[in-house]
Amino acid sequence: MSTPPVTLTINGAARSFPLPADTALLYVLRNDCGLNGPKFGCGLGECGACAVLVDGRAVRACTTRLGTLAGRTVTTLEGLATDGEPHPVQRAFTAMQAAQCGYCLNGMIIATVALLARDPAPDEAAIRAALRHHLCRCGTHMEILAAVRLARDDLAVSPTEAARMEPSS
Amino acid sequence: MTGPREKALAAYLEADDILLVLRPGSANAPDIHLAITGDGTVIAFNGHVDLGTGIRTALAQIVAEELDVPFERVSLVLGTTSAAPDQGPTIASETIQITAIPLRQAAATARRHLLARAADRLGTTVDALTVDGGTVHAGSAAIGYGDLVRGRHARVEIDPAIAVKPVADYRLVGTPQPRTDIGPKALGLWTYVHDVRVPGMLHGRVVRPPYVGYDHGEGVGTSLLAVDESSVAHLPGFVAVVAIGDFVGVVAAREEQAVEAARRLKVTWKPQPPRPDLNDVEAALRANPARTRVLKHEGDVERALAAASPAMPRTYVWPYQMHGSIGPSCAVADWRADGLTVWSGTQNPHWMRRDLARLLDMPEEAIVVERHEAAGCYGRNCADDVTADAALLSRAVGAPVRVQLTREEEHGWEPKGAAQVIDVRGGLDLAGGPVAYDFETRYPSNLAPTLALVLTGKLPPVPEVAEMGDRTAIPPYAVGPMRIAVHDMPPLARASWFRGVSAMPNSFAHESYFDELANAAGVDPVEYRLRYLTDPRAVDLVRAVAERAKWRLRTTWGTEGGEGDLLYGRGFAYALYNHGKFPGTPAAWAAWVADVAVNRRTGVVTVTRVTVGQDSGLMINPDGVRHQIHGNVIQSVSRVLKEEVRFTGTGVESLEWGGYPILTFEETPDIDVLLIPRPDEEPRGVGESASVPSAAAIVNAVYDATGLRFRELPLTPDRVLAALQGRQRIEQRIEHRAAVKRKAKRWFGLGVGIAGLAGLAAGGLALAAPFRPAIAPIQRPDPAVFSPASVERGRLVAAAGACAVCHVGPDGVALAGGRAFETPFGTVRATNITPDETNGIGGWSFAAFQRAMRQGIRRDGAHLYPVHPYTSFVNVDDGDLQDLYAYLMTTPAVAAPAPVSALKPPFAVRGLMAAWNALYLRPTTVAVDPLKGEAWNRGAYLVEGLGHCSACHTERNALGAERTGPARLAGGTAEGWDAPAINGTAAGPVGWTEAALYAYLRDGHAADHGSAGGPMAAVVKSLAPLPDADIRAMAVYLASFPGTATPEAAAAARTAALAASEAARADAALVAPEGARLFEGACAACHEADGTLAPLALNSPLHADRPANLIRTILHGAEAPASLAARPGSPAEVMSMPAFAASLTDRQIAALATYLRARFAPGKPAWTDVEAASADARRISSKGG
Repeated sequence: MSTPPVTLTINGAARSFPLPADTALLYVLRNDCGLNGPKFGCGLGECGACAVLVDGRAVRACTTRLGTLAGRTVTTLEGLATDGEPHPVQRAFTAMQAAQCGYCLNGMIIATVALLARDPAPDEAAIRAALRHHLCRCGTHMEILAAVRLARDDLAVSPTEAARMEPSS
Repeated sequence: MTGPREKALAAYLEADDILLVLRPGSANAPDIHLAITGDGTVIAFNGHVDLGTGIRTALAQIVAEELDVPFERVSLVLGTTSAAPDQGPTIASETIQITAIPLRQAAATARRHLLARAADRLGTTVDALTVDGGTVHAGSAAIGYGDLVRGRHARVEIDPAIAVKPVADYRLVGTPQPRTDIGPKALGLWTYVHDVRVPGMLHGRVVRPPYVGYDHGEGVGTSLLAVDESSVAHLPGFVAVVAIGDFVGVVAAREEQAVEAARRLKVTWKPQPPRPDLNDVEAALRANPARTRVLKHEGDVERALAAASPAMPRTYVWPYQMHGSIGPSCAVADWRADGLTVWSGTQNPHWMRRDLARLLDMPEEAIVVERHEAAGCYGRNCADDVTADAALLSRAVGAPVRVQLTREEEHGWEPKGAAQVIDVRGGLDLAGGPVAYDFETRYPSNLAPTLALVLTGKLPPVPEVAEMGDRTAIPPYAVGPMRIAVHDMPPLARASWFRGVSAMPNSFAHESYFDELANAAGVDPVEYRLRYLTDPRAVDLVRAVAERAKWRLRTTWGTEGGEGDLLYGRGFAYALYNHGKFPGTPAAWAAWVADVAVNRRTGVVTVTRVTVGQDSGLMINPDGVRHQIHGNVIQSVSRVLKEEVRFTGTGVESLEWGGYPILTFEETPDIDVLLIPRPDEEPRGVGESASVPSAAAIVNAVYDATGLRFRELPLTPDRVLAALQGRQRIEQRIEHRAAVKRKAKRWFGLGVGIAGLAGLAAGGLALAAPFRPAIAPIQRPDPAVFSPASVERGRLVAAAGACAVCHVGPDGVALAGGRAFETPFGTVRATNITPDETNGIGGWSFAAFQRAMRQGIRRDGAHLYPVHPYTSFVNVDDGDLQDLYAYLMTTPAVAAPAPVSALKPPFAVRGLMAAWNALYLRPTTVAVDPLKGEAWNRGAYLVEGLGHCSACHTERNALGAERTGPARLAGGTAEGWDAPAINGTAAGPVGWTEAALYAYLRDGHAADHGSAGGPMAAVVKSLAPLPDADIRAMAVYLASFPGTATPEAAAAARTAALAASEAARADAALVAPEGARLFEGACAACHEADGTLAPLALNSPLHADRPANLIRTILHGAEAPASLAARPGSPAEVMSMPAFAASLTDRQIAALATYLRARFAPGKPAWTDVEAASADARRISSKGG
């Protein structure tokens, strides 16, 4: 089937896909781009495991269709690093050991990056609200909350790091 | 070799420069437990796998410690059947406690061997050597382990009697060690089984039978009647349909193609027999046949009970629960003639291999199970099932196949944590002590055989009975006469082990019961426990946890007080998790103090803080232990407060996170962990212990807060509120919402229609000839005769008229026809209007085309049905019709006939439409009013003529004609959807402004109303090519109706509606508690986010008289506003709403709709019969195709 290609930017590179407009972004990222950060969790936008940034906003790739993304910018977990250096939020999650199985980790990190980009100093309630619709079954909530606080505090003392909060690309 | 493969056993056995520590294996080959290579790398092998608990790191610590090598030098090979020893399934917290033992011995054996060689090489004795960082020192001389290994292939056998390192010398074990996997996971660099890709890999999906979540009983394995491959064979990327017994799967080239094929595959199943109602687990379990096993019987229980004062018989009920892995199970299989490789997230690779050998009639040796991490499983989920599914599909197509289960399949089919019903008889003696303890527990499980074995008939669907109900069945208290019995019973729903297994429900009963005894005896519950606890480590732990939590003695409930609506309480519980075959092996000791707040108005129980103490013996990685305790606390709080699987008559109903909600961040308690240091005691498993006291601690705390004793879980707000206030009083509290019969807006009652139309014919009222002359066919005009400008104008005319929306062909072929429209007359099919001479309108002259458009007469003289809106098109300009004709004649011809309409008698007689036309076809022109300006007049033309808005937005009379007068544009229906009023009388709380109308028509989304859905979404897309001026014109015209809002009025209405909805939040949860949970889990992620969607409080369908549009939106989803928006760079939402038809039942949709109505349209009367309406909507959509 001939389909007009959809062109968008993924992790800084322009990519073009001659796929049907209703193809879920998640499958394009995982299967066409080999990006394993976003995970399939529910396909219903409920759990957040597949979250990615679209123009800096956290969205669920399982319910986002390729056709809506022409000209937009998508950043995945893999695209957060700059020059090979992990993103401060990724560093904070590793430092606080904020994973058990780690399947939800992608969504937690993406949601945190989006949160700190729009609110650099979220209080505890704001942090919990931002993560409310990201499900973790291992019960890593304590460590995840600690990681978000650490990332927030690190960024507050380091303006250069804060500048990096804007997702690259 | 393809795909990620572990190095196989043979490679180690043949390697040079290696030291292997072995044990005689089960097959011909020995088991390798440890290898050290010439570069000093240490490879440790373990048959257990990392389920996300961090044992990869803990095992590496053990090995590094024993060998005195740096932690980083140790790598682990876990689980793979190609190299790791078979040490049984990774269950029961056994890895550290049991399977790590040979590994430690292997490391010690290797160390002894290496030191002996070093002594030789350095010319000294072993006693003179020291080891540091993998280097052996003798005075100033030193030699590395690698140097000692290089140059030969050495094997030594594990010495099970070897002396291992004394704990006092530990440097690595017992100190916090960051896990090796978390860094790569945070960067997206870890390869989960979901991420395995093999060259040439295809994608599979399964289609499961209707007995969702059952693996035995009537019909299981024998329910498939037919699979219609032709229903999907034409789909792009389609490879195969596979059906074996009740196993059905599809394979396609791309993942989304497999998803689509699975969705559309037509499968016919036998009707299912009714199964026991598992929403009443107590009745179902009591009726289930059982074998009774008495675990302990001491003293004369009956005689003691006869003397009880008071006697306290109690029953505790535990619901079915889910493991709830966040990632549905996934596997890749590569079947070849000479063998099978699977990449699997299994807990038990060697068992998996046996199952695959049986399923595929292959020798075990021809199968390799490569084990990769999956989402955490907490017990037996669908990891094995999906591995077998992938193997079957790969064998069928002769290529590697990856199978990803859906969320619904994982929820529905994962072997559930079994429900339990526990009876305790006991009471107090005269001194207030426990007089006796008579405990009976029921545990229905068969451990869930791998599903494909059952579905394909390899295993008969006869349930086996697992003896796993005995975990911690014996209470820890010294009570004189005691009888402990387990009723082992076959499963009802598919069930298997889930974290804490039966110990968690059994301890719920024990620890609730001892709390009840303490209350009855007037003794503090901690003090009471201490009187009867005999295990000194238990006593130490209970005291330590009570002290840490600053436990205050209490002999009555209510001592913690409260504030406002909140009542505070504290509860205590203790348990020692006992796992494995009875009498079992004890894991870590755990005790809880739970603090709760109970809202007496809403029934919501919040666990605010948990103080949890654990005696784990020696802790290999204290950070890992702490994280496991956190995980156990949070998961078990979730289970106790929220979790219960619901069932339909034939299977599992809870298929997604709205129907099976789990704890969220906002509900997470503070957790204070007390780790009892016992470095000199053997390490105990920590994966489950801290879950076990949870339920009783929380229930005891709720009792302490309220005086109410809950013996059935979960503690949902409705259950708690019902107990607090009684059902009737709740219902009085809630504003009574009278049911209002929905206003009939259907085309008409069928009886009237037949009678009316028959009367017309019989009475001779037909003024027009029933048959009109044919207009001679022409040869299809050469597209070149039409000017490009005319064709382009025609394209816009077609866009404004949305021709392609209705005349769409199968799979979206433009203008090919076939789309079905269900009308009271029967099914009308859109025709092929491509320029194909035989099947389309290629042979139509302009005159014929014009007549069809304006009079509803086909070229051959037959009448069209007024589903074709010629009553509107009568108003279309000649020029526009000519351009439209030019455009249609230049589109690609589709040489396929559209399906024919199937009208009910007498409507199949098209001639009757002549009479209809005489009555209703009015060749009036659109009102022209020069005073109202160009935009208004253009808008009137587009709305009333070309756009034929009235075709949907006006109610029809008994004969299917649009009503006139006030009913015009006051709302109608389209394909079961309500087309709301567009004459200024819409039902939404905010009136439509011109700006809102413009935004809606241009972008498919208006901030104060919501997004276009159903047929209107397609219309908005169709309008996209029109210039802004035309859209503006329509908005201007529609905004000229009386009732249109001013911007100020709209803003005020918006504020009021949002405030009303916020005020209704709590009451709505009382009206529809299940609906509130469904909303929170399934909808709120998008609808309560800070996104770009209109607030639901402003959403038109939620304020409509009937729930038609809401139901259809839930069933079929809604396209992202961004996909409708015509303006590039529009800030419209990019996420679509998924279809929930396969995820929610009609009953759940009704509960959800009831909540949505009460919460977001609080001023409107409740809808009635939503469940039936949802069932109807499903039927219609499945018929319409």
